[in-house]
Amino acid sequence: MKCAVCNREAVENGYCELHARAYQSIMKKYEIWRKALEISWKEYLSEIVKNPFTGEWAREVAEHLIKTGEEKGGA
Amino acid sequence: MGKYTFIITEKPDAAQRIASALDLKGKPKKMEENGVPYYIAERDKQIIVVPAIGHLYTVAEEKGGRNYYPVFSFRWVPRYMAERGAKQIRVWLETISKLAKDADTYIDACDYDIEGSIIGYCILKYACGNKEAVAKRMKYSTLTKEELEKSYEELLPKLDFALIEAGRTRHEIDWLYGVNLSRALTIAAKDWSGKYATLSTGRVQGPTLRFLVAREKAIRSFVPTPYWQIRAEIEINGQVFEAEYEKVVIETKKEANALVDACKGKDGVVENIEVKQFQQMPPTPFDIGALQSEAYSLFGYTPRRTLDIAQRLYLDALISYPRTSSQKLPPAINYEAILKSLSGVSEYRRLAAELLSKKELKPNEGKKEDPAHPAIYPTGNLPERVLEEPERRIWDLVVRRFMAVFGEPAVRQSLKVCINVDGQRFFLKGRQTLKEGWLRFYEPYVRSEEVLLPPLEEGQKLKVRRIILEDKFTKPPPRYNPGSLLKRMEEAGIGTKATRADIIQTLYDRKYVRDERMIVTDLGFEVLEVLKKHCPPIVSIGLTRKLEERMDKIQASQEKRENVLLDAIEILKPVVDGLKAKEKTIGEQLSIAIKRARLEERIVGPCPICGTGMLMILYSRKTGKRFIGCTNFFKKKCNAAFPLPQMGTARPLGKNCRGCGWPTVQIRIKGRRPWNLCFNPKCPLKEEKRNIEMRSVQ
Repeated sequence: MKCAVCNREAVENGYCELHARAYQSIMKKYEIWRKALEISWKEYLSEIVKNPFTGEWAREVAEHLIKTGEEKGGA
Repeated sequence: MGKYTFIITEKPDAAQRIASALDLKGKPKKMEENGVPYYIAERDKQIIVVPAIGHLYTVAEEKGGRNYYPVFSFRWVPRYMAERGAKQIRVWLETISKLAKDADTYIDACDYDIEGSIIGYCILKYACGNKEAVAKRMKYSTLTKEELEKSYEELLPKLDFALIEAGRTRHEIDWLYGVNLSRALTIAAKDWSGKYATLSTGRVQGPTLRFLVAREKAIRSFVPTPYWQIRAEIEINGQVFEAEYEKVVIETKKEANALVDACKGKDGVVENIEVKQFQQMPPTPFDIGALQSEAYSLFGYTPRRTLDIAQRLYLDALISYPRTSSQKLPPAINYEAILKSLSGVSEYRRLAAELLSKKELKPNEGKKEDPAHPAIYPTGNLPERVLEEPERRIWDLVVRRFMAVFGEPAVRQSLKVCINVDGQRFFLKGRQTLKEGWLRFYEPYVRSEEVLLPPLEEGQKLKVRRIILEDKFTKPPPRYNPGSLLKRMEEAGIGTKATRADIIQTLYDRKYVRDERMIVTDLGFEVLEVLKKHCPPIVSIGLTRKLEERMDKIQASQEKRENVLLDAIEILKPVVDGLKAKEKTIGEQLSIAIKRARLEERIVGPCPICGTGMLMILYSRKTGKRFIGCTNFFKKKCNAAFPLPQMGTARPLGKNCRGCGWPTVQIRIKGRRPWNLCFNPKCPLKEEKRNIEMRSVQ
C-alpha cells in the first residue's frame, strides 16, 4: 500500500515512515493546542496548516486530514 | 655534484621557505626540472629541497577496473596509476627519484601531522628507494626562519613510525569502506536504471549524513506549540523600557488575557533590585575547529574555505600550522617576541604594548591538546604581499584572538529590577561592562550587549505605559550549517581535523544536501535509508568512533595496524555481501530517488499564472533551447512560458523576487559573476529600471 500523502510505501496508519512521524506529532500536539486555545480538531488542523513553523510533512498530513475529514483517533 | 642532503617538503611554497631559511645567504638557487621546481641551499653542505604536491601516493586495488566489488586487496601506488587527471605526478616522481639518487642524508620536512608524515614516508620509501628507514625528521609548527633553522639543527633521528602506521591504517580503512560501499550504491543504481550517477558513502560520511537526516526529519515533522508572553512598557524619567513578566511562558490564552486585564491601567512599584557582578574569562586559543566555527559565524566562510585560507597564511609564515586540535600556547613560541613584531602594525600597536607592559603573559589555555602542534597563533611575521580580503580577515582574527587570550577577565554587571504591578511581577534587566579586560583585544569580533538602566530605588513608583501580549509559537530545531555540522562531528569524535571539511563538501557534491542552511535532498534521504536498512553498522556513530579510537591507539603504539585492519574488514565483509544480495531492490530505490532529485533540481517554484502548476526549467523538443514552463502545459491548462539565457547553467534560487514575488533562477557562466534573474517580464523592478534608463537618456 502507498502512503496517503506521497508515493512511498505505507508502514503505519496509511502513511510512510516519514509522514507517519509527522502524523504522530500532530496527534501528540493536539491536546496542548486544545487547552491553549480551546479549539476543535478541525480548527487545530487549519491553524497548523497556516503556521509558518509547521514542518513540510506535518503540513502535508494536516492538509490530508482536512481533505479526508478524518476525526482525531482515526475515525 | 658531491654528496648532499635531500629534503622533501609537502608543498612548493614550503620548499621555498625552508630553502631560504637554511641557505646561509638566504638566497637559495631556484631550479626546475620537467616543470618541477626545487631549490639548492648552501649551508654546512649542499642541501636540495624538493617539494611534493600533497599526496603523491594513494591506496588502490591490486586488480584494475572500477566496476566491481567487493574489493579487499589493495596496495599503495603512485596517484597517476589510480586517478584520472593525475598524469603530472609521474614526471614529478621521476624528478624526485633523480634528485634523491646521490644524496647521503635524507630529511622529511613535510608538515608534522598524519597526512604530512604519510606523504614524506611514501616518497622516501617508494620514490627514493627505501630511504624511510634512514631518513631524519624536521619538526616545526611555523615556517619562520628561526624555527626552521632550529628544527634543522635539532633533527629528530627517525620518522614517527607510529604516526605513519596510524595514518596508513586510516587511509586503508577509509578506502576499503569508501570503495566498497560507494561502488555497491553506484552499481546498484546503474544496473537498475542503465544511467550512471556517482553515489558515495564512507566510514565518516554515512554517520554525518545521519546527523543531517535526523535533524531534517525533526524539522519536517515539526508541529509548533502556541504560548504567550507578556511585557510591560515602563516609563522612567521620560525614557521607556520593556520589562518581562516573571512567567516566561504562559500556556493558555485565557490565562494570558486574564493577566493583561489584571495589570491594565495600574502603576508599578520597584520591589527589589538585584545586582550581580560576574567575570567573563578570555577565550581559549584557536584550534582548527574553533577557527572554522568562528570564521563561519563572523564572515560566513565554509570550513573548507577557512582551512584553505589558513593554509595559505601558514605557507606565508604568517600563522602557525593550522591543522591542530590544540588549545595550548607553550611559552617556547616566545609571546613577547610575537607581540613586539605585531606592534609593527598600527592597528595592533596600542594593544600589543598594553600586553607587553604586563608583569607576566599567561594565556587562557583550553583543555584540548595535540602532540604535534600548539594552537594556531600569529608568527609575528608581517605580510610581505598585499593580502586578499579573506586572508586579511582570517589573519586579523588569529592575531586578535592571540592577543585576547592574554587579556584580563572582563568584569560585567547584571541588574535585575523586580517591578510589582498589582501583585504581578515584571523584571527589567540591564547589563553593563565594568571592566573591558580581554574584550577590547578581540574587538570587533566580540559582541557584548550593553543595556544601561537609569538609577532606581526600592519602593520607587513607576508608570506603566502599556501591557503587551505577544502570541508566540515554539520553533523547529535550527538546520545545520557547515560550521555547526563540523562542530557536531567534532563532538561525536568522527573524522579528523584534516578530513571533516572535505566530508561536508562531498555531501554537497553528491547532492545529498543543498543550501547554506543545509537541507537534505530526497537523494540524501534515500541513500541514508538504504544504508540504515541494509547495513546499519555503517551509519552508526559507535562503529566509526570505535575505529577512530583504535587508530589513535596505533599512534600511541598500543595497537597493531594489522589487527585493526582485519577487524574492519571482518565488519565490512558481511555488509557488502548483504548489499550485493539486495542489489536490485536497492538499485530501484536509489534510481527513483536520483530521478526525483534531478527533477527537483529543475523545479523553479509554483506557477504565478495558473496557481496550481509548478514552473520548471524545460527544453524545447524543436529547438533544444531551454526555457521556463508550467507543468500544467502538458494537461493543456496553462501555457506560461518564459525565455532563459542559453549560456551557462541555470538553477532555481529558492527565493522569490522582492519586486513581484515570482520565483527566481540563478545563471552561472564560467568566468563571470553569477546573477539572479527574475523572469517575469512585467516585474515592477524591471519597469523601474527601464524608467530610470529612459530618464537618463532624455
